[in-house]
Amino acid sequence: MRSPMLFNRSASCTPPPGYWQCLLPGKGEGLGRNLLFNRRATLVNLALMFGLALCGITSLSLGTVNLEIQQVLQALMGNGDPVSRFVIGELRLPRLLAATLTGAGFALAGCLMQTLARNRLATPGIIGIDNAATAFAVASVVGTGISVAPPMMALAGAATATALAFGLSGASGTRGYRFIITGLGIGAIAGAMTQFMLSRVAIDDANAAYPWTVGSLNARDPLATQILAGGCLLAWPLCLMLARGLTTLQLPDAVAIGLGRRPGRIRAGCLVVSVLLTGLAVAVAGPVGMVALIAPEFARALNRAGYVPLLASALIGAIVMVLADLAGRVMLSPLEVPVGIVTALAGSPYLLWILLKRPSGHLQ
Amino acid sequence: MTDNAFADISPETKVDRLAATELAMAHGHHRVIDALNLSLPNGKVTAIVGPNGCGKSTLLNGLARIHRPRAGAVLLDGRDILTRPSREVARKLALLPQETSAPEGMTVLDLIRFGRQPHQDWLRQWSPEDQAAVQQALEAADMAELADRALDTLSGGQRQRAWIAMSIAQQTPLLLLDEPTSALDLGHQVEVFELIRNLAGAGKTIAMVVHDLVSACRYADYLVAMKEGEIVAEGRPAEVVTPELLRSLYHITCELMEDPITGAPLLVNIQRAPESR
Amino acid sequence: MAIISLASLVLGAGPVAPGDALAVLVGEGSEEARFVLMELRLPRLAVGVTTGLALGVAGALLQAMTRNPLAEPGLLGVSAGSAFAVSLAILLGASTVTLTTLVAQAGALGGCSLVIAASRMKGLGNDPIRLVLAGATLSGLLLAMTSLLMLVDQRAADEIRFWVTGSIAGRQWSQLTTALPSLLLAGAMVVAVAQPLASLTLGERVAAGLGNHPGRIRLLVVLAVALLVGGATALAGPLVFVGLVVPFLARALAGADIRKTLWLCLPLGPSVVLLADTVSRLLAAPAELPLGVVTALIGAPVLLAIVRARRMPTL
Repeated sequence: MRSPMLFNRSASCTPPPGYWQCLLPGKGEGLGRNLLFNRRATLVNLALMFGLALCGITSLSLGTVNLEIQQVLQALMGNGDPVSRFVIGELRLPRLLAATLTGAGFALAGCLMQTLARNRLATPGIIGIDNAATAFAVASVVGTGISVAPPMMALAGAATATALAFGLSGASGTRGYRFIITGLGIGAIAGAMTQFMLSRVAIDDANAAYPWTVGSLNARDPLATQILAGGCLLAWPLCLMLARGLTTLQLPDAVAIGLGRRPGRIRAGCLVVSVLLTGLAVAVAGPVGMVALIAPEFARALNRAGYVPLLASALIGAIVMVLADLAGRVMLSPLEVPVGIVTALAGSPYLLWILLKRPSGHLQ
Repeated sequence: MTDNAFADISPETKVDRLAATELAMAHGHHRVIDALNLSLPNGKVTAIVGPNGCGKSTLLNGLARIHRPRAGAVLLDGRDILTRPSREVARKLALLPQETSAPEGMTVLDLIRFGRQPHQDWLRQWSPEDQAAVQQALEAADMAELADRALDTLSGGQRQRAWIAMSIAQQTPLLLLDEPTSALDLGHQVEVFELIRNLAGAGKTIAMVVHDLVSACRYADYLVAMKEGEIVAEGRPAEVVTPELLRSLYHITCELMEDPITGAPLLVNIQRAPESR
Repeated sequence: MAIISLASLVLGAGPVAPGDALAVLVGEGSEEARFVLMELRLPRLAVGVTTGLALGVAGALLQAMTRNPLAEPGLLGVSAGSAFAVSLAILLGASTVTLTTLVAQAGALGGCSLVIAASRMKGLGNDPIRLVLAGATLSGLLLAMTSLLMLVDQRAADEIRFWVTGSIAGRQWSQLTTALPSLLLAGAMVVAVAQPLASLTLGERVAAGLGNHPGRIRLLVVLAVALLVGGATALAGPLVFVGLVVPFLARALAGADIRKTLWLCLPLGPSVVLLADTVSRLLAAPAELPLGVVTALIGAPVLLAIVRARRMPTL
């Protein structure tokens, strides 16, 4: 019964509707090892990857110096004129990579958070992580005597905020709404501290700290970008491990336990990955919380109901970030509007619309 | 537990697969159940009844390992249920809790496929057995035509049957249900209870918490009556249900008759009993 | 409240010791002390009183209208609306105080749009958490727009950045007097609307049955809130959480009747603000913490306490 073909076409076992089944080599009883691929999700992801590539190339070619597509492609391959190669290699390509990674990181963290909280409005930012990471980073930039680099401080801030949110919200953990409100409170305090620090320092320091408060791809630290890349790579296998259990999180806990899963552990895993990714991404680009909200929304809209779209969220997040950065660069040229402001301007109306249009209370 | 209770339950079924010994469960500091012993008779439908707050759902959750007990143990096939890996338990025991909700737009087929998760693996995501189990579950619950419909477009009875179908697809010899029919109208209640009886007829051991005593008497082989965390009576409905028991549990007076068709007890002339304390 | 007022006058950073300050009050004392007291601290006291009053009352009104204990001008974006409007004004070069007050009030009115939307939509009205989240989003949006403004003009950015934290330091009598007329008007509106508002909290049908017009009541409330919050923001910058803490305390003391709550806000509002201001002066002496920071530090725990104490309806 085991056919040597990659795709399963045997009549005795058909994959469920909407899926492709892919047979793997190796022995085993019955059908042997196999993987299921959600057909729609796979097609969506392929399209998104293509879209990301398009956006990336567009972003590389536009800016204060406009380049032709031809020049861009040549420069990417190492040929072409020195100007193009410089602009692409030294300026835009690293920025594009940073945008892709941070967008993917924020979006993936948001998707995980929303699944674990069973609430489409849950984002790491909502529990104050963004603001706390900013406050910590600003503290180190404006020279209050803390000499740790801003990215590390941002990560420390993210971890502190999470610990506080948990500690203060009590036993209901991530499933309660106290968690969200606690996060709002922590965010407010962190925001106030940031404002305070900014108001007391000289104009130069304040300007240096400014990108950290709104989210910008300007003040990137190459080391931070590399760490983020590492974090994303690490997150991917973790997400794969969590993926099967992740779908059961959408059902009530008692059902998930009945199916042999451990929802508490899965939620903890998701939270860890989510906070890690957000902290690292904030360390590179500052707080760009909106991406964590809108990217998973779009991803869910493109996919079947009940599917947790991890890869799609990451890809859409990357696209959003790249486009927002592009928009920020060309909108008020030669002035650069930081990515955080662009996403806030674009994303807030959408979020308000979500919040206002739902007639019932059911948000998942 | 007298010998009478098992009069019509044959000796083979006396080796019970699921049992609680000296079980104690608590919410916070408040002990809901203490030193409770119960064995579920195999292949039969057991109904757990009692007034609100007596601990029926807590007991069921304890039996299904949803909550850890404060003391005592739940034994599955003779071994403490908590010592087994959860996935292994899920292949023997399925639970349908009281609160069931699914993401918007999820189809019946998607839901039923969840039931196969305990049998699947990271590298073995779909097999002929899975396919057969899902098909069989659809037919047993009479949901074959509705397989592609979204759950939120179904009626209450159909939705509940879909959830039960998920439990059926799990292909477990034991099935626990927490108030499977509370929110359903009479017609849908009958639908669901008949499905449950069919499953028992096919050999499953079923325990269900039932709100309505009359339905419990009608559809169960074995009745367990609880009050304030203790079992006050257990046995066949016809033997267990007495006016004294009803007065003690529900503060009602009534007369009992025997249903001419099924033999189950029927309550008539139900009135509130005067508080005699 | 009197005690707090006195303390506010007497204590504080700077070269004037409490003993000297007391001396001034009884008629003696040095020139320097008199200057500090009369020119600096007294106006500050007055501004603090006014701001506390305005914000406390505005908060109480909003909470009664939306039947939501978490409704608060700062959280719902009303203050952010004012802030944005003022930032825009600063950017465009305006510096007269009158203009600032009016502008702030117009901005507050815009910020109220969310509140209006909320009271019309059933789902949002019944769900406090969703309203707060919507408010946070609106505030975020307005903040982003304010940041955009700051980006465009460096000089304005500095001014805005300082103002946006919220503070009652360095305020003068002139600012107070320009804000006063509109605040008094708002006060009159509040008096007019208090009784009908009380009936509105029982439900629209009940209110209509008693002969009131829910629509008109809401309009009056919104206008009053806009005037109050706009005035307060023009004086002190956006202060979050004051409108949350004051009515919460008032309700804790007097129960849910809006009229009693409003009466209690009269002494409580200024007390809270003055207390916060005094703390801000003492905590980091000889420097000063901006008032906005202190109100956030006080208010956030109160927010948490409210949420912990009550069972929130599901989202």
